[in-house]
Amino acid sequence: MRGSLHSRRALMLGGLAAGVLARPFSAAAVTAGSRPRIAAMDFGLAETLIEMGLPPIAVPDPNTWADWVVEPPLPADIVNLGTDREPNLELLAALKPDLIVTTPFLDDITPLLERFAPTRTFSVYAPPPGPIYARSVAATRELAGAVGMESAGEDLISRAQTVMDEVREHLAAAGLGGRSLLIVQFLDTRHVRVYGRGSLFGDVLERCGLTNGWPRASNYWGFNTVGIEELSVSPASGIAYLEPIAPDTLDRLAASPLWNRLPAVESGRIYRLPAALMFGMLPAAMRFARQISLVLGGAPSNG
Amino acid sequence: MGDVAVSSSGGMRPKLRPLALVLLLGLPAVLACTANLSMQLPPQKWWRALVEPDTADIAELLVFYSLAPRLAVSLLAGAALGLSGALLQQVLRNPIASPTTLGVEAGANLALGATLIFAPVLIGFGREWVALGGGLLAILLVLLLSRRSGFAPLVVILAGMVTGLACASLAALLTLFNSHYLAGLFLWGAGSLSQQDWSVAAELAPRIAVAGIAAVLLLRPLTLLGLEDSAARSLGLSLRLFRFAALAVAVALSAFVVASVGSFGFIGLAAPVLARLSGARRLGSRLVAAALLGAALLCLTDQMVMLLSSSYEMMLPTGAVTAMLGAPLLLWMVPRLNLPPHSVSGLISPAMNMIRPAPLLAGLAVLLLVVSAISATVGPGVKGWGAALPGDLLWSLRFPRILAAIAGGTLLAVAGGILQRMTGNPMASPEVLGVSAGAAGGLMVALFLFDLSARTGQVLATTAGASLALVVILALARASKGAPERVILAGIAIGALLDSLVSILMASGDPRAMRLFNWMTGSTYGVDTASAIGSIVAAALVLAALPMVARWLEILPLGDASARALGISSLLSRSLLLALAALATALATLLVGPLSFVGLVAPPLARLAGLRRALPELVGAALLGSAIMVGADFIGRTIAFPWQLPAGLVASAIGAPVFLWLLTRRQTP
Repeated sequence: MRGSLHSRRALMLGGLAAGVLARPFSAAAVTAGSRPRIAAMDFGLAETLIEMGLPPIAVPDPNTWADWVVEPPLPADIVNLGTDREPNLELLAALKPDLIVTTPFLDDITPLLERFAPTRTFSVYAPPPGPIYARSVAATRELAGAVGMESAGEDLISRAQTVMDEVREHLAAAGLGGRSLLIVQFLDTRHVRVYGRGSLFGDVLERCGLTNGWPRASNYWGFNTVGIEELSVSPASGIAYLEPIAPDTLDRLAASPLWNRLPAVESGRIYRLPAALMFGMLPAAMRFARQISLVLGGAPSNG
Repeated sequence: MGDVAVSSSGGMRPKLRPLALVLLLGLPAVLACTANLSMQLPPQKWWRALVEPDTADIAELLVFYSLAPRLAVSLLAGAALGLSGALLQQVLRNPIASPTTLGVEAGANLALGATLIFAPVLIGFGREWVALGGGLLAILLVLLLSRRSGFAPLVVILAGMVTGLACASLAALLTLFNSHYLAGLFLWGAGSLSQQDWSVAAELAPRIAVAGIAAVLLLRPLTLLGLEDSAARSLGLSLRLFRFAALAVAVALSAFVVASVGSFGFIGLAAPVLARLSGARRLGSRLVAAALLGAALLCLTDQMVMLLSSSYEMMLPTGAVTAMLGAPLLLWMVPRLNLPPHSVSGLISPAMNMIRPAPLLAGLAVLLLVVSAISATVGPGVKGWGAALPGDLLWSLRFPRILAAIAGGTLLAVAGGILQRMTGNPMASPEVLGVSAGAAGGLMVALFLFDLSARTGQVLATTAGASLALVVILALARASKGAPERVILAGIAIGALLDSLVSILMASGDPRAMRLFNWMTGSTYGVDTASAIGSIVAAALVLAALPMVARWLEILPLGDASARALGISSLLSRSLLLALAALATALATLLVGPLSFVGLVAPPLARLAGLRRALPELVGAALLGSAIMVGADFIGRTIAFPWQLPAGLVASAIGAPVFLWLLTRRQTP
């Protein structure tokens, strides 16, 4: 499924370049000098570091960045650490990073990582399910403190808040305030992940003045895996699905009466969103909010 | 072709009429279905919802476009799998042939997964063709492998199950490298029947109908295929052509199901077996009964799964549940099959003479040292390949892995050697007998029920699991004397049971499941120096215990009477040996996972090298097993740098073909 995207990557990167140009340049706050060399074990932490102007030197599996994260772009010379559950220790030893940042998902290997550099764990996606956006803000602040870039951290937090506010105003002006949306990702032609309360996307919806249409409790990553027919338990008037999506999914759906009878589909409120990291932090939240604003409100909200 | 007629399963007496059995299974299915329906809609609306649903009423739409097609698809898929299994059993004259036991489902599934990841364009031609290609490749491989045995039923099944396991572990590797962001592939393999419209039913129905018609056309030649080859040939049949046609139809049936809804392990085995049990004697009635029973079985399972999922709001893949129910069925059947024994030669090499063990063992020790030294010294890095000297940080990273690989290889080889000598079965081993799976099951219980993360607790739990599996298997072995393949088949069924449990856990999305999965692939990653040294000490202790039990190992294969005559308590010695094998397996499984095949291949290789007496054989096997594991760890660490393939999986990529080769070797024609 993932591989299906490689062909589209060029297209995505084109869009990405435009997105970068459109955003105000904000990383100037970083002072030159001894910038810590950081290995990030998680894409969410990596995107946050990049937005703060301190890109990591190594991440696991950077080849999938363009499929799941897209922006901000990874530095071209990023080192591939292998898988996230088993990052290559010999590479870490050779890279000698000043700091390793990781998440509770990788608690098992934290003692190993600690042998190579001071290791800090930042908890956003961890039990129990909770407010991901607020946790991301706290984690960003913590991360900024850990790398000595408090002001860049605060800057990122307030930029994210600004994006949320602007999107909310834009949507309200377009008469879309309070609209209820389902955010899904297709696993195959019959199953979806629905991002509910306690997901990054769910929190962003609410901050942008929209309503998350998924009524059930989610796991601590913020999603449920369900058959598409179960989407009918939601009264949502719109459905936004995220790329990547397998090539035959849309055709199959178009032929499905049950899908076609979902209130959202009947009224034509189906939105395709470019990929945004579902388990990301503030940069993913900003990207997602902008995309929502773009597909719902029809005009860019920012920049 | 072999000399086994299908009707030779005389151990099973007809008890129920086929139709009665269908009703017996169908009734609870109808009840469960009714319960599921009434959760959606009040009964008075059912008819209208099924005939002309009110498009404004979402509940009626759900019944019409989700519940009803799901019911239809479960019936269709079940019928297709039942028919497929019955056809395979007839063509191969093998009462335990089925899409699952021949690796067809796993092959189709792997083909789909690999295509989705590496060549998604091909999916555009239709998933069913990709699945069909994978299924056909798998069964051709199985037939090729079992050709030399004259397609002896148990050999065919063993080749099929191992091919299936190999396909499944390759699919596992794909999942492993696709990180936790991607769950679709996995869901699919586990077989979910959830539907949103009639399209799946509409695509399955004509395909199955065409295949069904083909089966009817093949009925007469197929009936004759059940006869002896000579008799069939004298009736003027082109055996080869009809066999291939019937095989293709059977594979197509199950590939269609895999392509549309995923795999449903063991339905294709259970349905035809039940059909025969229920007394369907003639081929035609057996095919019909198998299709009906398959439909009833899958429908019943799926309706129960739906009831459960709606009560717990969790996604439960029906395919994983059928696999879990099917493995015990296979276990139950194995001792009841009435088949002529097929002798597997294993590795009693005819020409080689006894040689003096000491120089050979010294040579093997040197081999192990050389492999370890290479593994510790060389490896790729940021700037390409380079060498690390003792004292380097790299050296200290590689050393624990090497120690763990040596310990794992030693322990598995010793356990395998003990089991092979005790059971007199040249293909026994902890992996094949399900002992490793038992150990893995123990760890699963420790992780999920008791949240045991301490090493000692895990050792205890894995040892308990390994012992339990060993006791079950040996009880089965006793029940089916003189048929080593049966015992192995039972062991592989235990392994399949474990796989389905892991699938269900994975579907729950619990991150501990991912951890378990990672560990099951047999990774030496993250072994720290302390536990590496601990396991080396444990391995050394097990080796040190060998001289004390070596005499038993020489004498026990001669039989209980000889043992008693020589003053050995058979019960005591057997129990102690079993305990030693279980402990060694448990320790090794913790280190290198349950699927390495090292315990299987190392002892026969040692015998091939000319080590015949118990002690030298076990020590030689330990050295060889260690060298294989260290080599596997080295390959896994370097071949896809910076990615790392788990040593256990690499070792199984070496071990599975060796196993299949051992299996197909046959001394006498």
